[in-house]
Amino acid sequence: MRHSEAELRAWMTAGLDGDAAAHAALLRALVPLLRGFFRRRMRGDEDIEDLVQETLIAIHTKRGTYDRDRPFTAWLYAVARYRLIDHLRRRRVSVPIEEVEAILITEGFEEAVTSRLDIERLLSGLSGKQARAIRDTHLEGLSVAEAAEGARIGQSDVKVSVHRGLKALAARLRGHE
Amino acid sequence: MMAQDPDTSSTERLIAALSADVPPIPPRFIGRRIALGIAGGGVVSIGLVFALFGMRPDFPQAMFGFSFWMKWAYTLSLGLIAVAATVRLARPEGGSLRMLWPLALPILLLAALAIEEMIRTPMRDWLSMWLGGSWNRCPWRVLLLAVPIFLGLLWSFRKLAPTNLRAAGAAAGLAAGAWAATIYCLHCDEFAAVFVLTWYSLGILLATGLGALLGPRVLRW
Repeated sequence: MRHSEAELRAWMTAGLDGDAAAHAALLRALVPLLRGFFRRRMRGDEDIEDLVQETLIAIHTKRGTYDRDRPFTAWLYAVARYRLIDHLRRRRVSVPIEEVEAILITEGFEEAVTSRLDIERLLSGLSGKQARAIRDTHLEGLSVAEAAEGARIGQSDVKVSVHRGLKALAARLRGHE
Repeated sequence: MMAQDPDTSSTERLIAALSADVPPIPPRFIGRRIALGIAGGGVVSIGLVFALFGMRPDFPQAMFGFSFWMKWAYTLSLGLIAVAATVRLARPEGGSLRMLWPLALPILLLAALAIEEMIRTPMRDWLSMWLGGSWNRCPWRVLLLAVPIFLGLLWSFRKLAPTNLRAAGAAAGLAAGAWAATIYCLHCDEFAAVFVLTWYSLGILLATGLGALLGPRVLRW
Protein backbone atom coordinates (compact mmCIF):
# COMPACT_ATOMS: atom_id res chain seq x y z
CA MET A 1 0.00 0.00 0.00
CA ARG A 2 0.96 3.60 -0.51
CA HIS A 3 1.92 5.78 2.42
CA SER A 4 1.35 9.50 2.54
CA GLU A 5 4.05 12.13 2.68
CA ALA A 6 2.99 12.98 6.24
CA GLU A 7 3.36 9.36 7.38
CA LEU A 8 6.77 8.87 5.76
CA ARG A 9 7.97 12.18 7.13
CA ALA A 10 6.84 11.31 10.66
CA TRP A 11 8.83 8.04 10.50
CA MET A 12 11.84 9.84 9.06
CA THR A 13 11.94 12.51 11.77
CA ALA A 14 11.40 9.91 14.50
CA GLY A 15 14.32 7.96 13.00
CA LEU A 16 16.46 11.11 13.07
CA ASP A 17 15.67 11.37 16.77
CA GLY A 18 17.04 7.84 17.22
CA ASP A 19 13.84 5.75 16.99
CA ALA A 20 15.05 2.52 15.35
CA ALA A 21 11.56 1.02 14.96
CA ALA A 22 10.33 4.08 13.06
CA HIS A 23 13.44 3.94 10.88
CA ALA A 24 12.76 0.29 10.03
CA ALA A 25 9.11 1.08 9.29
CA LEU A 26 10.22 3.87 6.96
CA LEU A 27 12.69 1.70 5.04
CA ARG A 28 10.08 -1.07 4.71
CA ALA A 29 7.46 1.37 3.41
CA LEU A 30 9.95 2.76 0.87
CA VAL A 31 10.72 -0.61 -0.75
CA PRO A 32 7.58 -0.82 -2.97
CA LEU A 33 7.83 2.88 -3.73
CA LEU A 34 11.43 2.57 -4.90
CA ARG A 35 10.73 -0.62 -6.87
CA GLY A 36 8.03 1.26 -8.78
CA PHE A 37 10.28 4.27 -9.28
CA PHE A 38 13.16 2.24 -10.76
CA ARG A 39 10.94 -0.13 -12.74
CA ARG A 40 9.37 2.81 -14.57
CA ARG A 41 12.81 4.13 -15.53
CA MET A 42 14.80 0.99 -16.35
CA ARG A 43 14.57 -1.53 -19.14
CA GLY A 44 15.46 -5.02 -17.75
CA ASP A 45 14.31 -6.15 -14.33
CA GLU A 46 17.53 -7.69 -13.05
CA ASP A 47 19.13 -4.58 -11.56
CA ILE A 48 16.10 -3.19 -9.81
CA GLU A 49 16.50 -4.98 -6.48
CA ASP A 50 20.21 -3.97 -6.39
CA LEU A 51 19.21 -0.37 -6.96
CA VAL A 52 16.53 -0.55 -4.28
CA GLN A 53 19.10 -1.89 -1.80
CA GLU A 54 21.74 0.68 -2.76
CA THR A 55 19.15 3.41 -2.31
CA LEU A 56 18.09 2.08 1.10
CA ILE A 57 21.73 2.16 2.19
CA ALA A 58 22.10 5.71 0.87
CA ILE A 59 18.93 6.81 2.67
CA HIS A 60 20.34 5.32 5.86
CA THR A 61 23.90 6.69 5.65
CA LYS A 62 22.91 10.11 4.29
CA ARG A 63 19.85 10.63 6.46
CA GLY A 64 21.58 13.58 8.17
CA THR A 65 21.08 15.61 4.98
CA TYR A 66 17.29 15.51 5.34
CA ASP A 67 16.07 18.81 6.75
CA ARG A 68 13.08 18.23 9.07
CA ASP A 69 11.36 21.35 7.72
CA ARG A 70 11.37 20.28 4.07
CA PRO A 71 9.19 17.83 2.09
CA PHE A 72 10.40 14.26 2.53
CA THR A 73 9.45 12.86 -0.87
CA ALA A 74 11.48 15.53 -2.69
CA TRP A 75 14.53 14.45 -0.67
CA LEU A 76 13.76 10.77 -1.25
CA TYR A 77 13.41 11.05 -5.03
CA ALA A 78 16.53 13.22 -5.22
CA VAL A 79 18.51 10.41 -3.54
CA ALA A 80 16.87 7.73 -5.71
CA ARG A 81 17.53 9.76 -8.85
CA TYR A 82 21.20 10.15 -7.95
CA ARG A 83 21.55 6.39 -7.29
CA LEU A 84 19.91 5.68 -10.65
CA ILE A 85 22.17 8.10 -12.54
CA ASP A 86 25.24 6.68 -10.79
CA HIS A 87 24.13 3.13 -11.58
CA LEU A 88 23.64 3.95 -15.27
CA ARG A 89 26.96 5.77 -15.39
CA ARG A 90 28.74 2.69 -14.04
CA ARG A 91 27.07 0.60 -16.75
CA ARG A 92 28.08 3.28 -19.26
CA VAL A 93 24.49 3.64 -20.37
CA SER A 94 23.35 7.14 -21.12
CA VAL A 95 19.67 7.71 -20.49
CA PRO A 96 18.18 11.13 -19.83
CA ILE A 97 16.56 11.25 -16.38
CA GLU A 98 14.04 13.94 -15.57
CA GLU A 99 14.62 16.65 -13.00
CA VAL A 100 13.34 16.11 -9.47
CA GLU A 101 10.36 18.47 -10.01
CA ALA A 102 9.19 16.42 -12.98
CA ILE A 103 9.64 13.19 -10.99
CA LEU A 104 7.50 14.57 -8.19
CA ILE A 105 4.75 15.47 -10.63
CA THR A 106 4.85 12.06 -12.36
CA GLU A 107 5.07 10.03 -9.18
CA GLY A 108 2.38 12.13 -7.51
CA PHE A 109 0.25 11.79 -10.63
CA GLU A 110 0.55 8.02 -10.69
CA GLU A 111 -0.14 7.78 -7.00
CA ALA A 112 -3.26 9.89 -7.27
CA VAL A 113 -4.49 8.16 -10.40
CA THR A 114 -4.01 4.59 -9.19
CA SER A 115 -5.60 5.35 -5.88
CA ARG A 116 -8.73 7.23 -6.75
CA LEU A 117 -9.26 8.63 -10.19
CA ASP A 118 -10.24 7.43 -13.59
CA ILE A 119 -7.41 8.20 -16.00
CA GLU A 120 -9.51 8.64 -19.11
CA ARG A 121 -11.85 11.06 -17.41
CA LEU A 122 -8.85 13.10 -16.26
CA LEU A 123 -7.17 13.11 -19.65
CA SER A 124 -10.39 14.22 -21.32
CA GLY A 125 -9.98 17.56 -19.57
CA LEU A 126 -6.74 18.24 -21.48
CA SER A 127 -6.16 19.29 -25.07
CA GLY A 128 -6.08 16.39 -27.53
CA LYS A 129 -2.35 16.74 -28.13
CA GLN A 130 -1.45 16.77 -24.44
CA ALA A 131 -3.74 13.85 -23.65
CA ARG A 132 -2.26 11.77 -26.46
CA ALA A 133 1.32 12.62 -25.50
CA ILE A 134 0.72 11.57 -21.88
CA ARG A 135 -1.18 8.43 -22.87
CA ASP A 136 1.60 7.37 -25.27
CA THR A 137 4.58 8.06 -23.03
CA HIS A 138 3.20 7.32 -19.57
CA LEU A 139 0.49 4.70 -20.09
CA GLU A 140 1.47 2.91 -23.31
CA GLY A 141 5.16 3.04 -22.46
CA LEU A 142 6.29 4.46 -25.81
CA SER A 143 9.54 6.42 -26.04
CA VAL A 144 9.36 10.11 -26.84
CA ALA A 145 10.65 9.41 -30.35
CA GLU A 146 7.98 6.77 -30.98
CA ALA A 147 5.25 9.03 -29.63
CA ALA A 148 6.43 11.91 -31.81
CA GLU A 149 6.43 9.72 -34.91
CA GLY A 150 2.97 8.34 -34.16
CA ALA A 151 1.45 11.77 -33.64
CA ARG A 152 3.47 13.31 -36.52
CA ILE A 153 4.82 16.08 -34.28
CA GLY A 154 8.31 17.00 -33.10
CA GLN A 155 9.98 15.30 -30.12
CA SER A 156 10.29 18.56 -28.23
CA ASP A 157 6.59 19.12 -28.89
CA VAL A 158 5.86 15.77 -27.22
CA LYS A 159 8.03 16.64 -24.23
CA VAL A 160 6.44 20.04 -23.81
CA SER A 161 2.94 18.58 -24.15
CA VAL A 162 3.68 15.93 -21.54
CA HIS A 163 5.18 18.45 -19.19
CA ARG A 164 2.36 20.98 -19.52
CA GLY A 165 -0.30 18.29 -19.41
CA LEU A 166 1.11 16.68 -16.25
CA LYS A 167 1.42 20.04 -14.61
CA ALA A 168 -2.22 20.85 -15.40
CA LEU A 169 -3.28 17.44 -14.10
CA ALA A 170 -1.21 17.77 -10.97
CA ALA A 171 -2.81 21.15 -10.30
CA ARG A 172 -6.26 19.67 -10.81
CA LEU A 173 -5.54 16.63 -8.60
CA ARG A 174 -4.32 18.89 -5.86
CA GLY A 175 -7.51 20.89 -6.23
CA HIS A 176 -9.55 17.70 -5.73
CA GLU A 177 -7.89 16.80 -2.46
CA MET B 1 2.15 -16.69 4.34
CA MET B 2 3.51 -16.52 0.80
CA ALA B 3 6.97 -17.85 0.05
CA GLN B 4 9.39 -14.97 -0.45
CA ASP B 5 11.81 -14.81 -3.34
CA PRO B 6 15.50 -14.51 -2.39
CA ASP B 7 15.78 -10.82 -3.45
CA THR B 8 12.94 -9.77 -1.23
CA SER B 9 14.28 -11.58 1.80
CA SER B 10 17.77 -10.13 1.27
CA THR B 11 16.21 -6.66 1.17
CA GLU B 12 14.38 -7.48 4.38
CA ARG B 13 17.67 -8.61 5.98
CA LEU B 14 19.33 -5.38 4.83
CA ILE B 15 16.60 -3.29 6.45
CA ALA B 16 17.01 -5.22 9.70
CA ALA B 17 20.79 -4.66 9.63
CA LEU B 18 20.46 -0.93 8.87
CA SER B 19 17.86 -0.45 11.59
CA ALA B 20 20.19 -1.97 14.18
CA ASP B 21 22.24 1.23 14.11
CA VAL B 22 20.14 4.40 14.24
CA PRO B 23 22.03 7.10 16.13
CA PRO B 24 20.14 10.36 16.67
CA ILE B 25 21.05 13.20 14.28
CA PRO B 26 21.30 16.71 15.74
CA PRO B 27 19.36 19.49 14.01
CA ARG B 28 21.32 21.56 11.47
CA PHE B 29 23.58 18.57 10.93
CA ILE B 30 24.89 19.74 7.53
CA GLY B 31 25.93 23.16 8.81
CA ARG B 32 27.69 21.67 11.85
CA ARG B 33 29.50 19.09 9.78
CA ILE B 34 30.72 21.69 7.26
CA ALA B 35 31.75 24.13 9.99
CA LEU B 36 33.70 21.35 11.69
CA GLY B 37 35.48 20.39 8.46
CA ILE B 38 36.46 23.99 7.75
CA ALA B 39 37.61 24.53 11.34
CA GLY B 40 39.73 21.36 11.30
CA GLY B 41 41.37 22.29 8.00
CA GLY B 42 41.68 25.93 9.13
CA VAL B 43 43.75 24.94 12.18
CA VAL B 44 46.21 23.18 9.86
CA SER B 45 46.30 26.22 7.55
CA ILE B 46 47.01 28.56 10.49
CA GLY B 47 49.85 26.22 11.49
CA LEU B 48 51.18 26.43 7.93
CA VAL B 49 51.12 30.25 8.00
CA PHE B 50 53.18 30.28 11.20
CA ALA B 51 55.59 27.60 9.98
CA LEU B 52 56.13 28.80 6.40
CA PHE B 53 55.46 32.56 6.27
CA GLY B 54 55.37 33.85 9.86
CA MET B 55 52.94 36.27 11.41
CA ARG B 56 53.19 39.84 10.13
CA PRO B 57 55.50 41.65 12.60
CA ASP B 58 53.12 44.55 13.12
CA PHE B 59 50.11 42.31 13.73
CA PRO B 60 48.90 43.90 17.02
CA GLN B 61 49.00 47.44 15.56
CA ALA B 62 47.54 46.26 12.25
CA MET B 63 44.48 45.00 14.12
CA PHE B 64 43.57 48.65 14.64
CA GLY B 65 44.14 49.67 11.03
CA PHE B 66 41.62 50.08 8.24
CA SER B 67 43.30 47.91 5.60
CA PHE B 68 43.40 44.82 7.84
CA TRP B 69 39.67 44.98 8.43
CA MET B 70 38.96 45.82 4.81
CA LYS B 71 40.73 42.59 3.82
CA TRP B 72 38.97 40.55 6.47
CA ALA B 73 35.56 41.99 5.67
CA TYR B 74 36.12 41.00 2.04
CA THR B 75 37.41 37.47 2.60
CA LEU B 76 35.03 36.71 5.48
CA SER B 77 31.96 37.76 3.53
CA LEU B 78 33.07 35.62 0.58
CA GLY B 79 33.65 32.75 3.03
CA LEU B 80 30.19 33.03 4.59
CA ILE B 81 28.41 33.22 1.23
CA ALA B 82 30.42 30.22 0.00
CA VAL B 83 29.54 28.20 3.12
CA ALA B 84 25.84 28.95 2.64
CA ALA B 85 26.07 27.69 -0.96
CA THR B 86 28.04 24.61 0.11
CA VAL B 87 25.44 23.72 2.75
CA ARG B 88 22.72 24.00 0.15
CA LEU B 89 24.57 21.91 -2.44
CA ALA B 90 25.30 19.22 0.17
CA ARG B 91 21.60 18.27 0.14
CA PRO B 92 20.46 15.86 -2.55
CA GLU B 93 17.80 18.31 -3.77
CA GLY B 94 20.73 20.63 -4.38
CA GLY B 95 20.53 24.09 -5.74
CA SER B 96 22.50 25.93 -8.34
CA LEU B 97 25.53 28.18 -8.25
CA ARG B 98 23.11 31.01 -8.95
CA MET B 99 22.81 31.32 -5.19
CA LEU B 100 26.31 32.81 -5.23
CA TRP B 101 25.02 36.10 -6.62
CA PRO B 102 25.41 37.91 -3.23
CA LEU B 103 29.16 37.66 -3.91
CA ALA B 104 28.63 40.66 -6.17
CA LEU B 105 28.12 42.89 -3.12
CA PRO B 106 31.55 42.52 -1.44
CA ILE B 107 33.28 42.48 -4.83
CA LEU B 108 31.60 45.71 -5.94
CA LEU B 109 32.24 47.36 -2.57
CA LEU B 110 35.92 46.48 -2.75
CA ALA B 111 36.07 47.66 -6.37
CA ALA B 112 34.56 51.00 -5.33
CA LEU B 113 37.19 51.29 -2.58
CA ALA B 114 39.93 50.46 -5.08
CA ILE B 115 38.74 53.19 -7.46
CA GLU B 116 38.52 55.69 -4.66
CA GLU B 117 42.08 54.79 -3.62
CA MET B 118 43.41 55.18 -7.14
CA ILE B 119 41.81 58.61 -7.51
CA ARG B 120 43.69 59.72 -4.40
CA THR B 121 46.99 58.26 -5.67
CA PRO B 122 49.21 59.81 -8.38
CA MET B 123 49.11 57.75 -11.55
CA ARG B 124 52.83 56.93 -11.46
CA ASP B 125 52.27 54.95 -8.22
CA TRP B 126 49.37 52.88 -9.57
CA LEU B 127 51.52 49.99 -10.75
CA SER B 128 53.39 49.59 -7.46
CA MET B 129 50.10 49.83 -5.57
CA TRP B 130 48.54 47.15 -7.76
CA LEU B 131 51.51 44.74 -7.60
CA GLY B 132 52.47 45.48 -3.99
CA GLY B 133 55.47 43.48 -2.79
CA SER B 134 54.03 40.01 -3.17
CA TRP B 135 51.65 39.85 -6.13
CA ASN B 136 53.41 36.82 -7.60
CA ARG B 137 53.30 34.84 -4.33
CA CYS B 138 49.91 35.81 -2.90
CA PRO B 139 47.58 33.76 -5.17
CA TRP B 140 49.69 30.59 -4.83
CA ARG B 141 49.90 30.90 -1.07
CA VAL B 142 46.14 31.34 -0.80
CA LEU B 143 45.75 28.23 -2.96
CA LEU B 144 48.20 26.29 -0.78
CA LEU B 145 46.40 27.28 2.42
CA ALA B 146 43.09 26.28 0.80
CA VAL B 147 44.24 22.66 0.44
CA PRO B 148 43.86 21.60 4.11
CA ILE B 149 40.49 23.34 4.31
CA PHE B 150 39.33 21.61 1.15
CA LEU B 151 40.45 18.28 2.63
CA GLY B 152 38.48 19.13 5.78
CA LEU B 153 35.44 19.74 3.60
CA LEU B 154 35.94 16.39 1.87
CA TRP B 155 35.72 14.82 5.32
CA SER B 156 32.47 16.77 5.90
CA PHE B 157 31.05 15.55 2.60
CA ARG B 158 31.54 11.89 3.50
CA LYS B 159 28.26 12.09 5.41
CA LEU B 160 26.60 14.52 3.00
CA ALA B 161 24.77 13.93 -0.26
CA PRO B 162 25.61 16.33 -3.08
CA THR B 163 24.05 15.42 -6.41
CA ASN B 164 25.44 18.24 -8.52
CA LEU B 165 29.05 17.27 -7.91
CA ARG B 166 30.71 19.94 -10.02
CA ALA B 167 28.76 22.77 -8.42
CA ALA B 168 29.30 21.34 -4.93
CA GLY B 169 33.03 21.00 -5.66
CA ALA B 170 33.19 24.60 -6.86
CA ALA B 171 31.33 25.89 -3.80
CA ALA B 172 33.62 23.88 -1.49
CA GLY B 173 36.68 25.20 -3.35
CA LEU B 174 35.38 28.75 -3.04
CA ALA B 175 34.78 28.29 0.69
CA ALA B 176 38.24 26.78 1.15
CA GLY B 177 39.83 29.62 -0.84
CA ALA B 178 37.99 32.39 0.98
CA TRP B 179 38.82 30.99 4.44
CA ALA B 180 42.42 30.40 3.34
CA ALA B 181 42.62 34.06 2.27
CA THR B 182 41.21 35.08 5.66
CA ILE B 183 43.97 33.10 7.36
CA TYR B 184 46.64 34.44 5.01
CA CYS B 185 45.80 37.95 6.28
CA LEU B 186 47.68 36.97 9.46
CA HIS B 187 50.89 37.15 7.44
CA CYS B 188 50.22 39.46 4.51
CA ASP B 189 50.85 43.19 5.07
CA GLU B 190 49.63 44.43 1.70
CA PHE B 191 47.19 47.28 2.14
CA ALA B 192 45.84 48.40 -1.24
CA ALA B 193 42.25 47.51 -2.10
CA VAL B 194 43.20 46.97 -5.73
CA PHE B 195 45.85 44.45 -4.62
CA VAL B 196 43.33 42.45 -2.59
CA LEU B 197 40.73 42.68 -5.32
CA THR B 198 43.13 41.23 -7.87
CA TRP B 199 45.52 38.82 -6.18
CA TYR B 200 43.46 37.54 -3.27
CA SER B 201 40.52 37.04 -5.61
CA LEU B 202 42.78 35.23 -8.08
CA GLY B 203 43.92 32.78 -5.38
CA ILE B 204 40.32 32.19 -4.32
CA LEU B 205 39.32 31.72 -7.95
CA LEU B 206 42.08 29.14 -8.44
CA ALA B 207 40.78 27.20 -5.43
CA THR B 208 37.23 27.40 -6.82
CA GLY B 209 38.35 26.12 -10.21
CA LEU B 210 40.28 23.26 -8.64
CA GLY B 211 37.21 22.34 -6.58
CA ALA B 212 35.02 22.33 -9.69
CA LEU B 213 37.58 20.17 -11.48
CA LEU B 214 37.88 17.64 -8.65
CA GLY B 215 34.25 17.66 -7.48
CA PRO B 216 32.88 14.96 -9.82
CA ARG B 217 35.71 12.58 -8.79
CA VAL B 218 36.11 13.18 -5.08
CA LEU B 219 32.51 13.88 -4.06
CA ARG B 220 30.93 10.74 -5.53
CA TRP B 221 28.99 8.51 -3.18
